Amino acid sequence: MSTHNEHGSGRRSPGRSPRTYRFLAAALTLSAAVATSLAPAPQQAVAKDKTVLTVAVAQSVDSLSPFLASRLVSTSIHRLTYEYLTNYDPKDAHVIPGLATKWESSPDKLTWTYTIRSNSKWSDGKQVTAEDAAWTFNKMMSDEGAATANGSFVTNFEKVTAPSATKLVIELKKPQATMTALDVPIVPKHVWESVKDFSKFNNDKSFPIVGDGPFVLTDYKPDSYVRLKPNKSFWRGAPKFDELVFRYYKDQDAAVAALRKGEVSFVAGSPSLTPAQAASLKGDKNIHVNEGPGRRFYAIATNPGAQAKDGSKFGDGDPSLLDERVRHALFMAVDRKAVIDKVFQGHAVEGKGYIPPRFSTYFWQPTAGQELAYDPAAAGRLLDQAGYKKNADGKRVGKNGKPLNYRVLCHATDPNDKAVGKYLQEWWGKLGIGVTLNCLDNVTDPWLAGTYDLAFDGWSVNPDPDFVLSIHTCGALPATPKDTGATDNFICDKEYDDLYARQLAEYDPAKRADLVKQLESRLYDLGYMNVMAYPNAVEAYRTDQIKSITTMPSAAGNIYGQDGYWSWWSAVPANSGDSSGESTSTGVIIGIVAGVVVLVGLAVVFAMRRRVTAEDRE
Amino acid sequence: MTAETATTAAPRALARQRRRAATARFWREYRTHRAGLFGLAALVLFALVALTAPLTVGSDVQSVTDAPGKPLESPSLHFPLGTDQFGRNLLGLVVWGSRVSLLVGLLAAVLSVAIGALIGVTAGHFRGWYATVIMRITDWFLVMPTLVLAIALATVMSRSLGTIILAIGVTTWPTTARLVRAQTLAVESRPYIERAKALGGGHWHIMSRHVVPNVMPLVLAQTTLIISTAILAEATLAFLGLGDPTIVSWGGLLQDAREAGAVSSGDWWYLVPPGIAIAIVALAFTLCGRAVESVLNPRLGVSR
Repeated sequence: MSTHNEHGSGRRSPGRSPRTYRFLAAALTLSAAVATSLAPAPQQAVAKDKTVLTVAVAQSVDSLSPFLASRLVSTSIHRLTYEYLTNYDPKDAHVIPGLATKWESSPDKLTWTYTIRSNSKWSDGKQVTAEDAAWTFNKMMSDEGAATANGSFVTNFEKVTAPSATKLVIELKKPQATMTALDVPIVPKHVWESVKDFSKFNNDKSFPIVGDGPFVLTDYKPDSYVRLKPNKSFWRGAPKFDELVFRYYKDQDAAVAALRKGEVSFVAGSPSLTPAQAASLKGDKNIHVNEGPGRRFYAIATNPGAQAKDGSKFGDGDPSLLDERVRHALFMAVDRKAVIDKVFQGHAVEGKGYIPPRFSTYFWQPTAGQELAYDPAAAGRLLDQAGYKKNADGKRVGKNGKPLNYRVLCHATDPNDKAVGKYLQEWWGKLGIGVTLNCLDNVTDPWLAGTYDLAFDGWSVNPDPDFVLSIHTCGALPATPKDTGATDNFICDKEYDDLYARQLAEYDPAKRADLVKQLESRLYDLGYMNVMAYPNAVEAYRTDQIKSITTMPSAAGNIYGQDGYWSWWSAVPANSGDSSGESTSTGVIIGIVAGVVVLVGLAVVFAMRRRVTAEDRE
Repeated sequence: MTAETATTAAPRALARQRRRAATARFWREYRTHRAGLFGLAALVLFALVALTAPLTVGSDVQSVTDAPGKPLESPSLHFPLGTDQFGRNLLGLVVWGSRVSLLVGLLAAVLSVAIGALIGVTAGHFRGWYATVIMRITDWFLVMPTLVLAIALATVMSRSLGTIILAIGVTTWPTTARLVRAQTLAVESRPYIERAKALGGGHWHIMSRHVVPNVMPLVLAQTTLIISTAILAEATLAFLGLGDPTIVSWGGLLQDAREAGAVSSGDWWYLVPPGIAIAIVALAFTLCGRAVESVLNPRLGVSR
């Protein structure tokens, strides 16, 4: 469900897919179930001689243009269809060659030279050259429309050139530590040169779409399916399946039912399977439930008083939240262990620092003295100190004399938000603070306008944490209240910004990791982003359709939404995939026969009734 | 002699007497409808359950922090209907949820019928361009799919019980308006209305004294029937996630169950009790409504 942003890192919050029409989908579950059970029949019939990997997805594609796409499903498809300069190793996510075979920086740290591989071809047969990469970056630097999704990567670029077919040179204005983690799809110049308006072109008109990744996109119908064929000449080796299909199931229960019936091979859930679904799927003999540490953190964000770069304040966040003691007290009254045990039922890890423990290089946890441990009594004392005392009714009173009541912005589409919201209502209620849970299908408007007090927030983190750190800098604030900034929740802190600039310029990995940890520590102390949990990825696949698949990290990791194309590229089809196909088609036949019988029965009944009334008339 | 004094001395007493007799007659008639009796019994039972809920289960049953059980326990002696995803007692939640479902059903039905009766009576009485305009608006609402309109309303307004009541109320009134207008026209064509007019009875007098008492039985029957629609609509909206997530209602329980994945994981005890409760209450109101209708409407009574 995460809307994936620039780096393919996802924002659950403002930009998250609204899924406004989910209720309609829910209302039509029945008819949808009928439709989906009918739809795969012809495809399964074909499946006898070709292997198809079907993945159930719920998130709509925002755009198939790599210059515009920011959602997880779209960026995942771009990972499959376009090669990036570098990739991440599935074992431990260290940077490995992608389109570039090697790279080096000049001693002054300002010039990076990449060697582009010569054994990669576009799917229309043309050679992939450094010129394609240079053109892609230059387009993003010169055309604002092309900078929509990944523009932040190139803001610090001075000049990009391709002196030869295998050599790409990028000159920087300032040193930038993320140069080996440029998650930008490189597009074919000869195809994209003819595009007029990059802010409008969605790359979904002429199929197959020319690419150089392990798969080639051959067909797409919005909210219905995305079809991909393997790229037989892919330099790392062709994928094993004959076809990869992302099929839409807007209702997670329908997706799980489809997995049970063998209509889909894989379900990731959005954002993951519920504990009840995971528990019941574990009992199925042909289904493997895969659980791995997630890339996401799940937090409560506090409105620090929305502001723009021009200094103007807007929004109506509660002024009491500007007091750090209040923010700390609120978080100290949140029992993180209960959130893990009750809401996630063990399918998550207790929240500590900003970056999940999966990225061990950058994982940080608060020291004993710094930690805001669960302690409602201390939280109450802290609020007393801050001057928010209880009145006769047991309610804490704000500086304006009115009882404190916070509006908590929650995603109506995320059951976890609603569940945790119920807990917050009780925990903070005991502190004497009222909570109004404001659950919306689309939280973007109040979020960008700053008209909330607290909000459920969460992002997917990349192997390189630069992006999720950048969204809390003053530079990410919107230019004016009317603009949309890259900022997450309007945090602007001088000390944080200094640390951020230092880590970005630091090329030594160990020193940079240390600076990132200092950043996380600062963010923790500020109390604007309170991480409650790191939810696990809980997903399931059919072992009679998929024999093996690579998780990331490979020891115990996730499958959907990886940093790379490893899972679908590596998936090996199982041999005995046909039995389920037959069972579904017999199911369909039985359904059709039953339908015909009912219709005939109705026709007979009506005919008899007509006759009866006719006789009566006589 | 006594009857004579009653007529002359105490018209109020006479009216009371007449009403008592009418009620008794109504009840005698009503008793002959077995389905209606069954519906009434079910309603009384549910009303009792809802009203005594603070004593029997208490509001603590909604608390997630003090939930007594483990998540999604199947039915046992301790939890007759099992537990929900937070480990709360589902029997208690279903009992507690009846309060919201019944309240919303009643209030939304009253709102809907009030709007419908007002529009129907005025449209039937005033006729002319006013009636034309009003009835075209009614037609427009009549052809609008109720659920879609209610969803649109519930989406744009804040999530609260009031919103749900309003959304149901303002979308289900057109049938009542049509019915009441027809009855009003029928009543107003009777000679005594003409006499009342000739004696100087104004619009207000005719509507309040003659029309409204005559359409009341119809309105009453319509209310009982609309309540079941309203309860179903509330459950539907809550199930679609448009209700207030912090309030326990039957539709809300179904929505929670769906979001917890109870459908695909086969945790039937989370889905079935609220579903059956909705079905029984809606059925009970419909049975009562039909019985009331056939008692009050002589033409229906004869045909049976």
